[in-house]
Amino acid sequence: MYGWIWRHLPGPVALRVVEALVLVAAVVALLMFVVFPWLEPMLPFNDVSVQ
Amino acid sequence: MSTSDEDPQTTQIPAVGAESPPARTADRPPAPPRPRGGKVRAAVRGFGELLITLGLVLLLFVVYELYVTNWKSGRLQNEASAQLEQEWRDAPQDQRQLHIDPADGQAFARMYIPTFGVDWSFTVQEGVGPEALEIGPGHYKDTAMSGQPGNMGIAGHRVGKGAPFNDLDLLNSCDPVVIETGDSFYVYRVLPMTGEVDGWADGKGARQRCANVAPLQHKQHAYDETFGRRIVLPSRGDAVSPVPYKARNPLPKASQASLLTLTTCHPQFSDAERMIIHGVLTNQYKKAQGTGYDDLLAEIGEA
Repeated sequence: MYGWIWRHLPGPVALRVVEALVLVAAVVALLMFVVFPWLEPMLPFNDVSVQ
Repeated sequence: MSTSDEDPQTTQIPAVGAESPPARTADRPPAPPRPRGGKVRAAVRGFGELLITLGLVLLLFVVYELYVTNWKSGRLQNEASAQLEQEWRDAPQDQRQLHIDPADGQAFARMYIPTFGVDWSFTVQEGVGPEALEIGPGHYKDTAMSGQPGNMGIAGHRVGKGAPFNDLDLLNSCDPVVIETGDSFYVYRVLPMTGEVDGWADGKGARQRCANVAPLQHKQHAYDETFGRRIVLPSRGDAVSPVPYKARNPLPKASQASLLTLTTCHPQFSDAERMIIHGVLTNQYKKAQGTGYDDLLAEIGEA
C-alpha cells in the first residue's frame, strides 16, 4: 500500500517526500476534524449524566 | 573501509562485514524477477500495513480524545465565560436575578471547587446534552437552581472536553463547591461519606469547616441513601431527584434540604457507572460591589 503510493508519486525524491508529508497531514486532518468528531458520540466512554 | 591490501575490485566482504557498510545497490546485479508467490507476499504485506495503519489511527484517536477535544472545549468555555461576565456587568445590580429559566446550552452560573485550585472555575450551562457539556459542566433541566430547596444536578466530563470533573474522586467530605450567580455566592459542602456517618458529630463533624455539614439521614430518614460520594449505575436518574434515590418524592418542598449533586463517568475512561457527589448548602452570600471570589474564599476559610 505505502510502496504503491510512493511509486505513484510524481517527481524527484525530494518532491515526493514533500508530497508524502502533505498526504499524511491531509489524512490526519480528515481524521481529527471529520471522522473522530462523528465517531465519538457512538463510543461508550463519554456519557456523564444519569437518566 | 576495508584494510585489505588486495586489489579493491576483487575484495570480498571481510568477516567483519556485518559492521561495514553494505555494497551499493548499483554494484549489485539487477533483482531477479519476482517468484510466483509474489501475489501472496503482496497480500500479506498489505495486511500487515493495514494493521499498522489501524494502530496509528487508534493512537491518533487517543490524542484526539485527550488533547484535541480540550482545545475546542477550552475555546468554547472562554467564550461562554466572557459572555456571562459581560451579562452580569451589564445587568443592573438589582435585576441580576436573571436566568431563572435559561435557554438550552446557555451559561447561567459559574462554579468553583477551591480544592482543585484557586483558578479552577467553569461556567455552568443549562442542559446535559453533548453541546452543553462540550462547553463545560451542565445543569440537569428541571432540577433545582442554586440556593433552592431540592437538588441541583450538574454533570461534567471526566476525560477530554476540558475534563472539568477529572478529579471529582479526590473530593472529601466538607470540601466546598461554590456556585456563583448574578447576585450571590452559594457555598455547598460535600456530605459525609458512607463510613463517616457514624460518630460524625464527635469526629470530623467537630471541625470548623464542617460547621453546617451533618449526615442528612439523622434528621430525615428519606435521605438514608444520600452520602458524600456514591458510585451508581447510569440508569439511576433518581440521583438528581429532589430527594436523591427517591424517584417518588417523599418530602414536601419546605422540608427538603438544599442539595448539590455532581455526576460524571466512572471508572475513568469508561461509562459503565457514574460517580455521584452530593453536597449540602451551608452558606449564602449576596455579592457586594467590588468583592469577588477571592474575598469569598477568605470568608469561608479556604483561601
